[in-house]
Amino acid sequence: MVKGKKREGVKAGNTKQILNFALSACSILLLLWVWFSVSAVNSRLIPTPAVTWERFLLLLEKPVMRVSFGGHILISLRRILLALIASWIIGISFGVFIGWNKKMNALLGSVFELIRPIPPLAWIPLITICFGIGEFPKLLIVFIGAVMPVIINSRAGMQGIEQIYLDVGIAFNGTQAQVLKEIAIPAALPVIFAGIRTSTSVAWSVVLAAEMIGANAGVGFLVVRGMNGDDMALVVVAMITIGVIGALLSVLTSWMERLVCPWMNIK
Amino acid sequence: MDEHKIILKLRGISKTFENKKGEKHEVVREISLTVFENEFVVFLGPGHCGKSVIINMIEGLLTPTSGEIELKGEPIHGSDPRIGMVFQTTALMPWKTVMENTELGLKFAGVPKSERRAAARKYLDLVGLKGFEKAYPGQLSGGMKQRVGIARAYAYNPEILLMDEPFGALDAQTRYAMEEELIRIWQQQKRTVVFVTNNIEEAVFLSDRIVLFSECPARIKTIYQNPLPRPRDPISPEFMEFRQMVSAQTDLSL
Amino acid sequence: MQTTTNRPVKVQVDHLTKRFGDLLVLDDISFQIRKGEFVCVVGPTGCGKTTFLNLLTKLIEPTSGKLLIDGEPADPRRHNLAFVFQEPSCYPWKTVEENIRFGLELKKKSREETETKTEEMLRLLGMERFRKAYPNELSVSSTQRIIIGRAFAMEPDLLLMDEPYAQMDLKLRFYLEDEVLRLWREIGTTVVFITHNVEEAVYLSEKILILSNKPATIKETITNNLPYPRDIASEEFISLRRRVTEQIKWW
Repeated sequence: MVKGKKREGVKAGNTKQILNFALSACSILLLLWVWFSVSAVNSRLIPTPAVTWERFLLLLEKPVMRVSFGGHILISLRRILLALIASWIIGISFGVFIGWNKKMNALLGSVFELIRPIPPLAWIPLITICFGIGEFPKLLIVFIGAVMPVIINSRAGMQGIEQIYLDVGIAFNGTQAQVLKEIAIPAALPVIFAGIRTSTSVAWSVVLAAEMIGANAGVGFLVVRGMNGDDMALVVVAMITIGVIGALLSVLTSWMERLVCPWMNIK
Repeated sequence: MDEHKIILKLRGISKTFENKKGEKHEVVREISLTVFENEFVVFLGPGHCGKSVIINMIEGLLTPTSGEIELKGEPIHGSDPRIGMVFQTTALMPWKTVMENTELGLKFAGVPKSERRAAARKYLDLVGLKGFEKAYPGQLSGGMKQRVGIARAYAYNPEILLMDEPFGALDAQTRYAMEEELIRIWQQQKRTVVFVTNNIEEAVFLSDRIVLFSECPARIKTIYQNPLPRPRDPISPEFMEFRQMVSAQTDLSL
Repeated sequence: MQTTTNRPVKVQVDHLTKRFGDLLVLDDISFQIRKGEFVCVVGPTGCGKTTFLNLLTKLIEPTSGKLLIDGEPADPRRHNLAFVFQEPSCYPWKTVEENIRFGLELKKKSREETETKTEEMLRLLGMERFRKAYPNELSVSSTQRIIIGRAFAMEPDLLLMDEPYAQMDLKLRFYLEDEVLRLWREIGTTVVFITHNVEEAVYLSEKILILSNKPATIKETITNNLPYPRDIASEEFISLRRRVTEQIKWW
């Protein structure tokens, strides 16, 4: 009796998983079908999946501007990685600082509120005038985009700490530094991490935009190259690459979060 | 309890809060009280009166608007390491293990790791949580979490333990269990305890003395010496009689 | 007053069993409740009372067994089941009066009947003065009283109450217990009242179902014949309270 029930339970779980898998497979198939039918009607403008696949294989063999396909991806990734690390270090420190210290928030908060709504791409002209079109200005634009959500979330996280946790710190006579390190920052960490996740996706979209404006390598550059060379298949390959890498990055940050905040997965 | 040794003295403490509009709201009025060493005192009063405010003032989380608090004859200001606190259930850090939560106070005090671990372990054993050192609070039941809270306060080795409705969130049965547990721990490791509750039964079960407070602003209404010998039986006629007597003095607030 | 045994059976529970995967939570529970009976359910902490309640309210389906109301399978669309939970849940945008009326309107009672019943309930609760007040202007206990009044006014086939007074202090609890008894007598509703508090169960009930530890079974069914109003300090009361406490004590 018990065994029979158990098998039934496992089967029910499996059915659910299979169903979920089937549903997501369906939606991907639907997307492919739309692509097939649209490209079949108008293959001049939109390359068919087969053509795209061939272009992809060609790209693996033949570099664009003397940089291989993998090389372009690595260049883009390197840019966002550098900018992200800088944005996390600076953004978390600054956000925690203004979130923890009310006077500092009053002093710097309003300036930050003014700068925050400016889209990162709007900085491009100013940055180009100041720093030219080298590697540094690109990193700077990505940094500006990525640092905003980190600051916002770090500040919100610090401001939203439950008072009772801080009371425990005071009751145990913790110093300001001890309370910050042992209580306040861990308490704010889940919110800070939400900012880190946002910053990663922002950084990825900003780096591509920056590369489309002035670069001779990177995945964003591939899109421009394809467009200028009337090579739509290359554009589509680059787009798919962007989607896949974006999704992988989001998986990566979730995994990082689980690693840093193990208590979040209880239950 | 040593009748002659006074450990804590409240001298006419009052507390008035002011909101952003400048309106004043008096929550505690003129409390004067003496607590003896190793005594178990229960502050009993209706829901939202200022009992918690009083113990937060003793702990140093709030400052009295007027009046003074004396510990062993000397006035105290701010948080004093000789006074520890058991908070409500939510006050365990979810990001720290049971062990890390328990040793937190000692860590702040700069006690070396091996020493503070030993102290924490001793009290975790005492509250019956041996083997749960590495668990996170999220993995524990309500009663177990509050045991950690008690161990954490004890590990800090204070002379006075303040408890702010620690069992308020537990169901009736778990509450009885924890009350028995708390008395067992207290009898093994005597400390002066100031315990806040709005539950008459709990007050009658735990206390050496019950300080009954009035509605807002909190004032002392009556003080009862608890006549019941320990161990106590909540279903005994004597228990019910004393409970009835205290209950008759409380206000019905619908 | 009619004795319990000559009233017709209102709720019949036959061999109710619930498993979650491998975990057996309720094991072969059978009992019956007579029309207008006040039944209290007690059990040790974590014994599966919530599952028990969810089965009675038809929020979840049993793995096996039957739940019959008036001899027919219980169906929330046909039978009128009312619940009161531990946390009061009034509609904050409705006044006291409107909250009570709302339950009756849901039942599509005639306008006249709705008005009479609302008035009667306000009177029974002694809350005529507060009819135009919003729940947020009242205390938690008053809000809970309105919900309980609303549930009784709907004259449900079965009224389920899940520890409605768990957060109330002693004096208030006694007052509310007397009030719920008064409503029950006036209206004659069949009540299942779940509680952790043995004193409360002995004070209120005509019958006590004692659940065992998980997997929950019915350990004992006690008929509580103490005459109302009950004296909590009387010898009979204390001995019954002790007897029930012994059965569920795990601490």
